[in-house]
Amino acid sequence: MAVTNDNPASKLETELRRGTLVLATLSQLRSAQYGYSLRQALAEQGMPIEEGTLYPLLRRLEEQGLLASDWRIEDGPPRRYYKLNSKGTRLLADLTTNWQTLVGTMNRLLK
Amino acid sequence: MNAQTIIEDYVDKVAAKLPRRLRNDVGLELRTLLTEQLASSAHDAAREPDSEMATELLRRFGAPDEVAARYAPRGFQLIEPEYSPLVVKLATFCIALQWAVTLPAVLSSRMTFDDWWLRWGLSAFAWAGLLVFWFGLASWIQRRSPAEPGSGVRPWTHWIFWVPFPREWRPGQPEATEWRAARGAAPLGAILTIVFIAPAWILDRLLPAGTDTSWALYDDRFQRWLLPPLIALMAVRLVLLAAAALNERRRARTETLRAGLWIGFVALLYWAVFGGRIFAQPVTDAVFKAWLLVFLLVNTLQIVVWIRRAATRVRVPDAFARPRHNGGH
Repeated sequence: MAVTNDNPASKLETELRRGTLVLATLSQLRSAQYGYSLRQALAEQGMPIEEGTLYPLLRRLEEQGLLASDWRIEDGPPRRYYKLNSKGTRLLADLTTNWQTLVGTMNRLLK
Repeated sequence: MNAQTIIEDYVDKVAAKLPRRLRNDVGLELRTLLTEQLASSAHDAAREPDSEMATELLRRFGAPDEVAARYAPRGFQLIEPEYSPLVVKLATFCIALQWAVTLPAVLSSRMTFDDWWLRWGLSAFAWAGLLVFWFGLASWIQRRSPAEPGSGVRPWTHWIFWVPFPREWRPGQPEATEWRAARGAAPLGAILTIVFIAPAWILDRLLPAGTDTSWALYDDRFQRWLLPPLIALMAVRLVLLAAAALNERRRARTETLRAGLWIGFVALLYWAVFGGRIFAQPVTDAVFKAWLLVFLLVNTLQIVVWIRRAATRVRVPDAFARPRHNGGH
């Protein structure tokens, strides 16, 4: 997602989307996913995220104690699966409430 | 180079930039993910993965340095940003002070410039290193054991390394307090001005007849040249202070004039202290000058604070000022 200074609309849109990345990612990790499958799941629902952004984000969320991960060998090569832990689940609930309030406020403002 | 070799080479480059504890785990995960991504791209393009496809994928993923930084940001902040201006100011002040104190030896030919540079000039930069080390430690302590604002409790290390106490902002009226103090001190100022005019003459009238008051006589030169302007400045300033204490509008209008008189008064007193005798008798002169120096140092500090406050005050441009009502309130 290359951003150039001569296109402020593109830059602002990128910033807007960046703010939603964590919530979007957490929302898809109620069940265990590995990096590639998570990216596919997000893209299929209209939220494409670059690999170079998403994979390090998973690690950072794990380091913050929001995700649990383990290596699994299922149908294919060994993959690292990520899933929300109890702290991540609580945070997702809180962020969801905040998001819905924010969406309501923005809808009123944008009328 | 085939596609898989390109990916493995890329992953090795990323892993080399990662901290040791993450290196293998992240490298392994990255290799799996990139391989899978490449297979998916090849499937979408209905052809076998090739080096061109792998190069495009990795170019999109980012340069190895950038990718490694996304996984584990490297580097750290040495000094908290709020300390940086103070460190620069203190370092500049210490270096300038060391040079100012030691350079006269070169100017008076007691030392060559080369000797001075090796002994004092270059070593002044050690202040910068010392301050960076000190404030670096203070920043580290602040990060490791932060104090809660308003809690009133702080770790002992904060005291040692002069970590600023996080205070909660409370509205205050320092200016109102200053003016209350000024109103209280005004009568004392008036008495001191009167005593300052002729201390020996006043003591003659207060003490029993025959008491020796010659020790309170001014030096002739001081009395003739410095005393009159000092008394004039004291008197004018007292009148302006009294007017300002009673009327807020006058206070703002005369602030610069009052400050000018104050600075002039302090400068004249410095001249009196260092320019010759004030009292004719050496003992009286020495004791009075010692007290006067304390007074002058306090006032100099207050002047510096006033100048700083005046320089940093938010000013309303004339264009924003409200029009005045003529003949109004």
